[in-house]
Amino acid sequence: MGEEKISSSESEGAFNEFINEQLEEVLDHIINEGDVDMLGDSGSDIIVEMDDIQPPKFVYGDEGGPGAGGGGLGPGNDSKRIRFSLSFDRFMDLVAERLSLPNLVKEGQGRIKEVSYEFKTFGQAGVLLDKKRTFKRALRSSIGTGTYRPQDDEYEVLIRRRDRRYKLPERVEKPRYKAVVFYMGDISYSTYGERLKLEKRVVNFIHSWLNYNYGPDNVDHRFVVHDSEAYEVMAEQFYDIANAGGTRAAIAFDLVAQIAINEYDPMDTNFYGFYFGDGEIFEDDAKEIIHILEKDFRPIFNRIGVVEVKPSSISHLHKCIADVFDDDSIIRLGKLTDKGSIIDVIKVLFGS
Amino acid sequence: MRTIRTNPELHHLEQRVLHYAKEFGRDLPEMRFYILDANEFSALLEKDVYPLSPANIWEGRNIINRRFRIESGQESALYYEVVQTGNPSYAYLNDTNNAMTQASVMAHVVGHCEFSQLNVLRDMNPDRTEFVMHLVRKVNMGRSQMGERDYLAYWNAVESASPLIAPNSQFNLDVAVQTESNTGPGSEQEIEGEQSVPCRMPYSSTLDSLLNQNTSDSNELFQHEVLQKRRHETLSRKGFKLVAPCQDVLGFLSHHAPASRAERAVLDYIYTVHTPHDFVVRTQIMNEGWAMYWEKKIMLELFREESVKGIIDYSKVFSSVCYPRPYFMRNPYHLGYHMWNHVEQLYRDGKVTLDYLEETDLQKKENWKRPNVTTDPIEAMGHLVRTTTDYEFLRRFLSVDLVEEFHLNRIPRSMARQAGIKANDVVREDERWVWLNPYPIKDEMLNFFTHFHRPRIYLIDADFLEGGLLMYHRDDQRALRKEWIKPTMKNLNLIWKGPVYLLSRDTLYGYSANRFQEKSVKIPRFRRVVERMRESEKPFTL
Repeated sequence: MGEEKISSSESEGAFNEFINEQLEEVLDHIINEGDVDMLGDSGSDIIVEMDDIQPPKFVYGDEGGPGAGGGGLGPGNDSKRIRFSLSFDRFMDLVAERLSLPNLVKEGQGRIKEVSYEFKTFGQAGVLLDKKRTFKRALRSSIGTGTYRPQDDEYEVLIRRRDRRYKLPERVEKPRYKAVVFYMGDISYSTYGERLKLEKRVVNFIHSWLNYNYGPDNVDHRFVVHDSEAYEVMAEQFYDIANAGGTRAAIAFDLVAQIAINEYDPMDTNFYGFYFGDGEIFEDDAKEIIHILEKDFRPIFNRIGVVEVKPSSISHLHKCIADVFDDDSIIRLGKLTDKGSIIDVIKVLFGS
Repeated sequence: MRTIRTNPELHHLEQRVLHYAKEFGRDLPEMRFYILDANEFSALLEKDVYPLSPANIWEGRNIINRRFRIESGQESALYYEVVQTGNPSYAYLNDTNNAMTQASVMAHVVGHCEFSQLNVLRDMNPDRTEFVMHLVRKVNMGRSQMGERDYLAYWNAVESASPLIAPNSQFNLDVAVQTESNTGPGSEQEIEGEQSVPCRMPYSSTLDSLLNQNTSDSNELFQHEVLQKRRHETLSRKGFKLVAPCQDVLGFLSHHAPASRAERAVLDYIYTVHTPHDFVVRTQIMNEGWAMYWEKKIMLELFREESVKGIIDYSKVFSSVCYPRPYFMRNPYHLGYHMWNHVEQLYRDGKVTLDYLEETDLQKKENWKRPNVTTDPIEAMGHLVRTTTDYEFLRRFLSVDLVEEFHLNRIPRSMARQAGIKANDVVREDERWVWLNPYPIKDEMLNFFTHFHRPRIYLIDADFLEGGLLMYHRDDQRALRKEWIKPTMKNLNLIWKGPVYLLSRDTLYGYSANRFQEKSVKIPRFRRVVERMRESEKPFTL
């Protein structure tokens, strides 16, 4: 046998392909049932738990416990659970595939570059000495010149200047995209219980989706809440701010527009804005929002989402916006009514 | 993976271990040691201790699950020793272990390799690892011929049949299946209880009728002729004939199921890599005990000459590996090691003799010390390896006193409570342990070897209802897992490419043309099935 590496990567690939179908169900569960909390740490592995699979065999009935037999050719289904970790990127790949989400269109290419150095070539001068290569050359030279003669118990290996091999850095430039995403929340309505859970799940997903597309270090996540006033809060306060009474949503949009224009360079930044509220606002407030959307948001934002969370019969924010921006490629309108609607809302917000 | 020669310290230790193994007179095959990192070790274990394997989802599932368990701290990545016996034998060392542990692993492997070479089941076969690697290449070629989907489906189907391997059963292929090349072991003369037919050559009806007017004898001769004719017809038509129930179902399928070359490669591969499991389960106590016995002897020599250090650490590891467990948990290291020491002492005291057995004076027996100068205890132990398996080993040497001495009847209180052990089964107890009645324990341990805690499935007819494969579940008072019968039979159907049937607990299950059926029937007893097959009758008809 040679010095090859023992690896199961091919079988791992076969298993991953095989379970893709099962993973779809797991993904639906994760997105619908609130397991999106695990998406909080973007970039970290996702722990997936699913029904274990076994090749069906003749075994005693009292072994294992209840479980449905597999379809035959494939595996059986055991009552046990199997747990494994999926890398964040692979998980998001699967999510994108499952929800048919296109990659986000990034702007600003070429203006900002991420510069790194890779050591792929070697030379006789440099800073970083490659000890392995140097020693190999020195050994070869020493054998040639006769200083290294194991048969005569002579083991001297001379390292001469010309034997030295240095790692040479190579400049690698990759385009770097920058994005900012604004989450706007209405804290004047009863944001607790079911409403809060639904909103959290969508916000978490947006958070992960943008990090996945741009890289976690390249996205600013900013949170704005409003009742009759609007103010920026930290991420952890987004769900915890108490109701101050009254509601005026346009000021949140206005504040976001101010931040976007004043703090970021529109030429190099990709802007995303998502509003969550019950949609119960005054008519003049809606008009003002439409005005801000048209004047400030639409020209520079890549995507704007307005999501009504468990809307009531008097919610009419959507209707007002839809009258002006019906079937718009940038401004998307979603309605979160229950857990089952989360995937639909995500598809509306990020679908093509 | 790198050879041990790349590490001078370990290479030196290997030489010392082999030196002492030879000093002790051990008979070893060629042994090759390799050093692996932790990930390679995990992968090797999932490949049934071969460095290569064809891609399959089960290995992928296991490795992903194992990695998660290691990363989440549920499982240790410290595997001590893995060896694939054969000639040459391949032993793998984990590069995270220290030198003392590596030496103990090498010494342990010495015991396994010798046991594999000597044992009565003839486990040692030349170039086993190389042959498996050749099969891997054949499977990989077959995979491209079959296409990925068919390949995975067929692999999964064969995986379903992998527990149905029993090359060392008394109903193995050699005994149960007669072929054109294997007419001896399976023929009717070989089957237990068969009356041999007197030779009547030359045959002449006139002469015979004059010489022997016994009509029943003539009938017998006629029946014999008919049997032979049928057998030859069957052989010429199918190439095989079942003359007894065959417990090695996958072995039968790998030889006789209609299969393309690619499919045959998958069958051969899975059958070959799973076959040694049967040897392991039948000899585990003797095998591990033998390895521990020689490991300790060699390690003591290494400590004495100071090739390795850390005798206290070694003692700790040794005692934790040899920690006594209740009989049903079967710690083969503990039981095997102490059994071999006990057997050695018996030989040293001359207690494995007729005189000792026939001695009626208990006092004399207790103080018996009559070493037999003509029998070397170690030679005698080697003879045991060459002639017995665990069943016979325990049957001969495990006594009630040893059950007590080895704590086989001692159970933690909490476990006893969970298991619902009744008070009248307990002979004594303290705060931590309860002790069970030691007398039935030997029988309980021996019972394991009749079924190995697995359903006993036999192939009894390969031509049931026009070409169907009929299997028989020998009832152990435990029903099969019902919802897995159908998918398993579907998989067997894919391999046999014809109807498959299973008799289990008064039900005939059938799978044919994507249809699964169940039918209540009266199932003959296993003994009756054997008799019918011996008589060349159908073992079961509707």
